[in-house]
Formats: sequence, structure tokens, C-alpha cells
Amino acid sequence: MSYLIFVLSSMVVLIGLATLLHLQFGLTGIVNFGVAGFWGVGLYVFGILMVDLNLPFIVALLLATVIVGVVAFVIGWIVLDLDDQAVLVATLSFATIGFYLVTTEKWLTKGVVGFGTVPFPFDFGSSTELVFLLLLVTLTSLVVLYARRIRSQPFGRLLVGIRDNEGLARSLGKPTFRQKLVIFTVTSALMGFFGGMSASLNHFLVPYLLSPTITFAAWIALILGGKRHWAGGLVGVLVIGVIFDILIETYAPIPTTEAAQMIPNIKYMLYGLLLVLVIMFRPEGILGAHAPRRPRREKPNV
Amino acid sequence: MSTLTDPLVLGLFGAAPLVLAAVGFTLIYYLSGFINVAYGENVTMGAYLAVIFNVKLGWDFYLTIVPSAILAGLLSVATFVLVFRPAMRRGVGPTEMIILSVGMSFFIRYAARLLFGIELYLFDTGKPTYFTLAGIGITSYQIIALALAAVTVVALYLFIFRTGYGEQMRALAGNRDLAKASGINPNRVSLLIWFIAGVAGGLAGIFYGVFSFVNSDIGWNLILIVIMISILGRVGSVRGALVVGVGAGIVVAFVTQVTQSLYAQVVLLVLFILVLKLTRTSAAMRG
Amino acid sequence: MSSGVARGVAAAPIGVPAVPPARLHLRNVTKSFGGRRVVDIADLSLGRHGIEGLIGPNGAGKTTLMNLITQKLKLGGGRVLFSANGDGQVDLTGMPIDRVARLGIVKTNQIIRDFDGLTVRDSLLLSLAGGRHERFYRVASEGRLRRETAAEIDHYLDYFHFEDPDGHALSAGEKKLLDIIRCLLVKPRLLLMDEPTAGLPEDQTRRVMDLMIRKAADEDVAIVIVEHDLGLIWEVCEFVHFMADGEIVVQGTPAEIRRNRTVAEKYLGSSDA
Repeated sequence: MSYLIFVLSSMVVLIGLATLLHLQFGLTGIVNFGVAGFWGVGLYVFGILMVDLNLPFIVALLLATVIVGVVAFVIGWIVLDLDDQAVLVATLSFATIGFYLVTTEKWLTKGVVGFGTVPFPFDFGSSTELVFLLLLVTLTSLVVLYARRIRSQPFGRLLVGIRDNEGLARSLGKPTFRQKLVIFTVTSALMGFFGGMSASLNHFLVPYLLSPTITFAAWIALILGGKRHWAGGLVGVLVIGVIFDILIETYAPIPTTEAAQMIPNIKYMLYGLLLVLVIMFRPEGILGAHAPRRPRREKPNV
Repeated sequence: MSTLTDPLVLGLFGAAPLVLAAVGFTLIYYLSGFINVAYGENVTMGAYLAVIFNVKLGWDFYLTIVPSAILAGLLSVATFVLVFRPAMRRGVGPTEMIILSVGMSFFIRYAARLLFGIELYLFDTGKPTYFTLAGIGITSYQIIALALAAVTVVALYLFIFRTGYGEQMRALAGNRDLAKASGINPNRVSLLIWFIAGVAGGLAGIFYGVFSFVNSDIGWNLILIVIMISILGRVGSVRGALVVGVGAGIVVAFVTQVTQSLYAQVVLLVLFILVLKLTRTSAAMRG
Repeated sequence: MSSGVARGVAAAPIGVPAVPPARLHLRNVTKSFGGRRVVDIADLSLGRHGIEGLIGPNGAGKTTLMNLITQKLKLGGGRVLFSANGDGQVDLTGMPIDRVARLGIVKTNQIIRDFDGLTVRDSLLLSLAGGRHERFYRVASEGRLRRETAAEIDHYLDYFHFEDPDGHALSAGEKKLLDIIRCLLVKPRLLLMDEPTAGLPEDQTRRVMDLMIRKAADEDVAIVIVEHDLGLIWEVCEFVHFMADGEIVVQGTPAEIRRNRTVAEKYLGSSDA
């Protein structure tokens, strides 16, 4: 029971991350491959604030979110006037730097030995984990509802305009760099917020958590669900969660330790394959409307 | 005195895998126009193939180099024919191609983990012959790696700028439609280039493995630095990739002497972000 | 091609003091591509009259000049100075293009540009939305924006007979018109139009020109039009600049330009006059 709640909680966090990624990439066109970095910094900063500095849960969480926001602001400032490929590579580099630094700065993070124990913010006995899950569901729902709402608001329309033709938007007077910085900072800070929540969820923090796998999971979920749809992240995470659980049930008859070790490898192999297939055959995702594809001849920056 | 020259010499020799990988990567970027993150897996698979021959089948290390490199080249061609070329034909844009290559990278890397496990492999190389150069010990393997890297780069340079096929590749990279109209067969040139890039990557993996070890992550750990070298070395220029590859190798070795090796990576990545900032402003922002 | 409408100097409505239109001064503006100088302007004032024309043979540098003004292209040398109210001058040189647009200098696009993901109405709402609407926390301002702008948007949609405003602009002509309307909705002080009627059917061309005449007369916007259709230029413009080989060769009223022998030889000679 407890394991199931943990899996569901992780899925809910992933939905939050994928939806934030929708706001960054699906709406605005920012190719953020540093999700693990923002989430991970939030994870560790929150853990350190709570465990080492003994700050109350809410204070630690908000402070961690703000700190990640500041980091995101700096990254965004550096990166958001570069071309798409550069943004991808730069944000990936940032996440990698975060991963390495968390490993090397043992005095702060305890390195590979691991940092713990990060508690839940409350204690309801055996129901604690369930209540925390419900809290996560509430918070993630707010993010999803915001994504749904903002599309039909002037700000959302501006983001789409920036995504489709930033130069044109600028020629009409829109301060696109400033607005991209705003959405990037806010959404990445919220990724850090979910990182903080995940610290309580995981209790014990290791650098390995900051490896690109969570970035990758958010991306595959969003692309699969439909990058331009507000529910793309939601649907994507549910689908890969269900597919994988079904596959597990049919595939693993005897849970030996060897089989258990193989599972994450099979999982990420399939995710990789799925990402390739979706981009090739249905790039708009499950929920996406068909978007026109340019033939190879044309230069992509038109 | 030796603290200055030691890292230089070590860096020079240690740069060989990096140079090979950068050259192969640049070829693909130049011809096909996208950043192929899965190229890191090319490097890793080259090393694993050599492990199969050397460790599992017991061949002498030197005998494994050629077959492993050739198979790595074929693997590269396979990814091109089965995935990347069809994707480009369907109109996938360069940013989506990178995302797709990340998917491929995860697919191959985790498949490798399934097949080979997560343990480290070491080559069974027997005793290397030691030489001394400027006061530090160099193994015969490092010399061979450097020699191979140099030969490969020179050969590639000659190939690209002095042969018919190289000319065709440059024509295709410059203006595809015009090149096709002049009768150049894009398929043959592309297959050849992807093969060569795969061979270079495989060699890089083999020698990286000889210098340290082989596991499923060695290519993935390299790929960001390789991308940086290619972008720094003025993408598409084999000359540039060589110069910057050697430079980066030396810098890595130098910083490794001074601090832990992860710090070296961090420094390089920070430099990378700076270089991107200076060279890659988007069209929309330029006006 | 003239439809016979006589053009005089636009008269301000009686009793309202005439607001001087936006003015642009170019001083020693140069631009070179690969060693070849494509624009070389010693001293040029634009926007003194309601509607001005910029004509010249292909390759004269007209579009390049317009892109230099909006700072889309970096100036090789010289300065571009803008005075909105006739008093203070702002140096546009090196300014980011969105700031230039916010100052009131807007250019329509010769090559079609559009927002693929936005409907026609969305495009117009985007142009009209201001900074106060476009904040990430404003999740309830759409209603007010639509109410405030409904009249203006519907006016343009009707005027140009847009068939499906809640769909996407499909034809090249529709996209061109959309581009023009977007620029107008931003309420520019100086509107640069780069071949606005190319690719438009006759009736829409007529509507665009009539609209431009009205705008220049009623509002304090100065319009500069690059056009190859000389009939439109003679009909609509009060002042014309003739450009060739990167330089302004002759300036004057349409009548003066048409009489000018140099121009007639170099450019008008064949058929268009």
C-alpha cells in the first residue's frame, strides 16, 4: 500500500513537472532540458533548510522555491536570447553542473553518501502518506488549471506568439525577452517547489536523483501527451504509467532480484523508443491537433 | 617546471579520444544538420564491442581495434538508415531531431545496460611498454591512440578537401537541392559519412576504455564536451574540431591535476555556456 | 492606373490644431554587404508630410533602408533620429527592435510573416493587448480586453471582408492584410509600408489605399510607402523620394518627380508613368 502511494505521488509530481514544461516549451517554445537541475536544486535546498537549519516546512519550501527562482532567473538571463539548440544544450549543461556539484560539495549535501532524513510536514500516523498525496494532487491540479486558463488569456496568447514568431512579436513592440524571462523564472521556480515536496516524499536524498532521467521522463510524457495541450503532461504521465504497469504485470511472473534490477533499464529503453516513435509518427502527441510539417528542404528558422 | 609541462603532455595524449569523437560528431552535424546526442552511444558501443572481442572472446587487444571500429561504423549507419534519415524525410526540424536523438540515446544506453550490466569493464591488454617523454611515463597505448587520432584527422581532412566524395559532401552540406541537381547521390555520400563518423566514435570509445574503463555511461558523459568542442571549433570545420579538441583535452587534464575530475567537467561546462552566449544569439533577437 | 482621385495636401479638421506628424532624420546612414555599399544616405527627413512614397528600381536599397530604420539591420555608420512630437529627439541607433516599435515606428512586412498558431482574431487581440494585460498572474483580463477592443477589431474585419475571423488566415492576401491591420492596431506614429499591395486583389488594394489616406488625414501618423505600382504612388502620396543605388537621388511632389528628366530616363522611361 505504501509503495503504491509512493508511486502515485511520484507520478503526480511528474505531472506537475510535465505541465510546467508545457508552459515553457509547448506554449512559449523554450527548450528546457534542465528540469532535473531546477527540481534537484529545490530538492536539496529544501532538505538542507529543513534538516540542517531546522526551518519550518512552509518557510523552507517557500525559501527553496525563491532560491531556485533566482537561479532560474540567472540561467534565463544568460540563455533566453540564444537559438533553440543552444538553449537545449545550455540548460542540459546547467543540470549536469548541478548534478556534479551536488556530488562534489559533500560538506553541504553529504554527496553520494546521501542526505537525510527529510520528514513529512505533518503526522497523521498511518495516513500521513495518503494526506501528502492528496496535498500533491491539489497543488498539481492548480498548475494544470493555470495551464488551461492562461491559453485563453492575453499572456498566454503572447507566449504562443513568441513561440510561433518571436521576431514578428518584437516588431509589434512586445518585450519578448522580458516575458520569456518571467515565464521561465516562475515555472522553473515551481519546478524547484515540486523538488522540495519530493524531498519529503523521498526522505533520503542522493545525487543520482539529479541525473537526466527525470528531465527525460517529463519530456517523454509531454511529447506523448501533446506538447501544445494543457493536459498533455497529465495524459502523457498517465499513459506511460499505465502502459508500464500493464507491461510489468504481464511480463514479470516471478519477481527475482535479477528481474527487479532489469526493470528500470527496460523502462527507460522503452521510453527512449517511445520518444523516437512519437516524434517520427505523431509529433503533436495524443491530444494534439495535426500541425503542418515543413519538408526537409526549407530552413527551419523561417 | 614539470607541473606545467606534465599536464600539457598528459593532456595532449589524453585528448586523442576526445578529438576522434569531436571529429566524428562534427561530420554528422555538418552533413545532416542536427546535434546527434546519440553519438555518445556510438562511442560507448565501440568500447563495448572491443570488450566483447577482447574480454569475452579473449582476442589480443590490438586485433580488436579494427573489427570493433568497423562494427561501430555499421551501427552508426544503422541508426541513420533506420531512424534519423526517415525522421528527416518526414520533415522533423532540427530542434525535434535533437530531442529524438536524446530518445535514441536513452534507448541504446539502457539496452547496453541490459546486455552488459552496470559493472566496469577493463581491457585485458597485457603489459604495456613504457616510454618517458619530458619526464613523465607514457604507455604504448597512449602513443598508438595519439597516432591513430592524428592519422584519422589527417585522413579525414584529405578526404573532405581533396577527394571527389569529400567535395560531394561539402556540396550537399552547402546546398542540398543544387547538389542533387548536379547529379550527386546524397544517399551514398551520407552513408559513407555516417560510417566514417561511427568509426571515429568507436575508436574514441576503445581508447577511452584503454585509458580508464568501459561502462554504459562513458559516451553520455563525453557528449556535452564533444558538442561544445564542435560548436567552439566553428562547426563543420574538421580543422577547428582538431584544434579545439586538443585544447579542451589539455584543459581537462590540467584541471584534473589541480582538482577532482568532476570539477574539470564543471569548469568546462561553464565555459561552454559562456561560448554559447557569445556565439549563438537567436535570429529573433538579432533583429 | 490612376483612378482619377485628385490629391492635395491633407487638411486638418477645422478648429483642431494640427499635430505635427512623426519625423525621422537619417544622418550619414550607410550599410555595406560584403564590401559593397548598398545604402548611403547623407541627410534625409521622413514623415514631414502625411503620406510619402519611396520609389526606385529593384536593388536600390529601399527595403534595406527601412530595415535600418527599424534597427532590424545594424547600421554600418551614421544615426537614425526620431522625434515624435517635433521636440525631443531619440537616437534609434542600436536600439532593440521591440523598443523601436514601442516608440511608434512600425513596418509592415514585404515577405509574409504570421503566427501559425493564432487565429485572425487572436492576432488582432495580440496587437491590441498592452503590458498591463500581459502579465503571468492576470488570469481574468481576457473579458475586459475583448470588450474594450471589440469595436475596433470588428471595424477592421468588416472593412476588409474577413471571412472567418476565428479561423486562420489562409491565403497570402489575407495574411498580408492581417499584417497591415496588426501594424495599425499598435497605433504607430510612423508607419513604414513595404510593398503593401503586392499580392492583393484589386478591391483590397483600393481599400488599403483609402484607409491609408484617411489615417494620414485624421490621425497623427506619418506613412512612408515603398511601392512598385507607381499609379498608387502618384495617387496617394504628397511627397516622393526617389532612390537608386543606395542614395536618394531626387525628392519632390509626384508632379515634380514625374517631370524630372533623370528619373524619367533611369526609371520611368519605359511604361509605368
